[in-house]
Amino acid sequence: MEAARGAERAAPGRATLALAGACALVLVVATLEVVLSGAVGHSPLIPGSPGLTGWLQAIDRFVGFYERLGFRMYLIALLCFAAAYGGLLALVLRGRLAADRRAAKWAIVLVAALNALMVAGPILFSTDVFSYIDYARLGVLHGLDPYLHGPVAANGDGIYKYVGDDWRKVPTAYGPLYTLLSYPLGLLGLKGAVWGAKAMALAASAGTLALTWRCARSRGYDPPTALLVVGANPLYVLYGLGGAHNDLIMTFFMMAAVALAFVDRDGPAAASVVAGALVKATVAAMLPFMLLARRRMSIVWGALAALVAVAVVSYPVFGLHGLDVISALNRDAALVSTDSFPNEIAHMLGKPGVFPADHTLLKAALAIVVLHLMWRTWRGYDWVAASGWALLAIAVTSTWLLAWYTLWTLPLAVVARDRRLLIATLAVQGLFVIHQTAPLFSPVT
Amino acid sequence: MSASAPTAPPDRWRRLPEWLRPRDTERRGRGDLRRVESTLLVLAFLLLAAATVYDVVRQVHVNERLSVDLHTWRAITGNDLKNISIEQDLAHYTTRDVLCGNLGAGPPGTQPQVCLIITGPTARGMRAAKGGFYLPPYFQDKRTNRYACWGTAVGENLCGLSTPPGAPDEPLTNG
Repeated sequence: MEAARGAERAAPGRATLALAGACALVLVVATLEVVLSGAVGHSPLIPGSPGLTGWLQAIDRFVGFYERLGFRMYLIALLCFAAAYGGLLALVLRGRLAADRRAAKWAIVLVAALNALMVAGPILFSTDVFSYIDYARLGVLHGLDPYLHGPVAANGDGIYKYVGDDWRKVPTAYGPLYTLLSYPLGLLGLKGAVWGAKAMALAASAGTLALTWRCARSRGYDPPTALLVVGANPLYVLYGLGGAHNDLIMTFFMMAAVALAFVDRDGPAAASVVAGALVKATVAAMLPFMLLARRRMSIVWGALAALVAVAVVSYPVFGLHGLDVISALNRDAALVSTDSFPNEIAHMLGKPGVFPADHTLLKAALAIVVLHLMWRTWRGYDWVAASGWALLAIAVTSTWLLAWYTLWTLPLAVVARDRRLLIATLAVQGLFVIHQTAPLFSPVT
Repeated sequence: MSASAPTAPPDRWRRLPEWLRPRDTERRGRGDLRRVESTLLVLAFLLLAAATVYDVVRQVHVNERLSVDLHTWRAITGNDLKNISIEQDLAHYTTRDVLCGNLGAGPPGTQPQVCLIITGPTARGMRAAKGGFYLPPYFQDKRTNRYACWGTAVGENLCGLSTPPGAPDEPLTNG
């Protein structure tokens, strides 16, 4: 993005503008295609949901679009999206559009359109949002503590049948701040709750992107470029927003912390990291790097103040269970997903999967990386980049890797001083996309 | 670092040797360290890329096997059904698959189901169905619900239910 700094560059040629326009068009068409064919229903990629897309089905009928979202159609859309995103990045990261005065406006319009389209569509690929709502309803409607009971404790509830099979007996793994934020969803009815979760995801995304813009400007990078790298990212749009994941709320607090630290508000910045960690614990990895780089007691006080504030509010509701994020992390760390890199490496080495001993090795590798980053940060390395590397290392060494986990690093990568972080993040995402493509080569029929 | 670097008291860390003292910005001349880091990153990427490609190829082969299994189930039962459930042996990663599908028309599981245990290599577009069992309508695939086992399913003691009156129980096999 350094290349995109100068506004003194020559205005982009017509061919460059045409190419950028074509890439933007492909992004919008691919998103529309996923949303409209997803709304048809009967798709293995679309989890059952409480009738959200009737109005989209009316549009489908109006335009004569009846094709359901199969693996092949989805993967073609994903690959087109990724290729167009790559093309757009090639233009913006080389500063080809930086001198165009309309670039900022069009970047905002494009990202807003992608966000809005995706939020208007069905819930994609994941039942997580139904777990969020189920936990909220457990607390609000059934008087049960979601840190002690899984969705099965109220298996007569209307949302229960939409919760993924693997999560029906499992208490919530999310932090108490998120659980409290999600409680109003329990009062909205099934459809209203899903739309409420979508609205929360959209607001968190808008906040994350606005803060990314602001942080990029603070560091002298081109804000529209930063916006496009994050907001038009295929995994961000299709998986993060498509599934209305609460990771977006975590990234909002994460980028708020970075923005506050950039204006020397270290206490509130640390408080924001803790708030993010009380949504999803992973972002707590930022705190040691912030402390080592800035070396101010206000960071410790800010973090403690946020922790105490949330504890005071959540203790009457959840007791101590709400603050025990460590046991939830340990539980999830033992899970294995087909897309995780350790699982892929195990297959390559001729093993059927990841064994408990491998978990120990992976934790040791992660500890070495984090210690190296802490030492580098102590000696002057960019703490934002170090935080990003730590989050990327967590995702890569985790045996439970999901698409939206690769998004944690992205907003940090576009404002970090080390360009390698952005390249590594996009490379990991590229490998994730490639790993999805098997049904394209050999569909099961 | 941030737009304005933190201003630590100058003598707070003075007792430490220079190489241990914190710094606000990195010293110039860290090219060697950066080169080592970059090399390790490239090596890590190559490992992940090789594992990813290997796993895609492996998954393609699994998908091909599952397609053969579906063809085998349809050929043996004579039922050109689309909704057939497949249970792979994910515990031991063998090529033994169990395929269950309705014997009559209707949504999955609402009719008596026949399940085939399919193993071995592919020959002429089919694999061997070495055993199987039946399931009554609306019952999950559990030992207590299975009946009329035949072939390898008998040896594996997969059935825990006697054949309900009038239920289908004909052994279906191709090898």
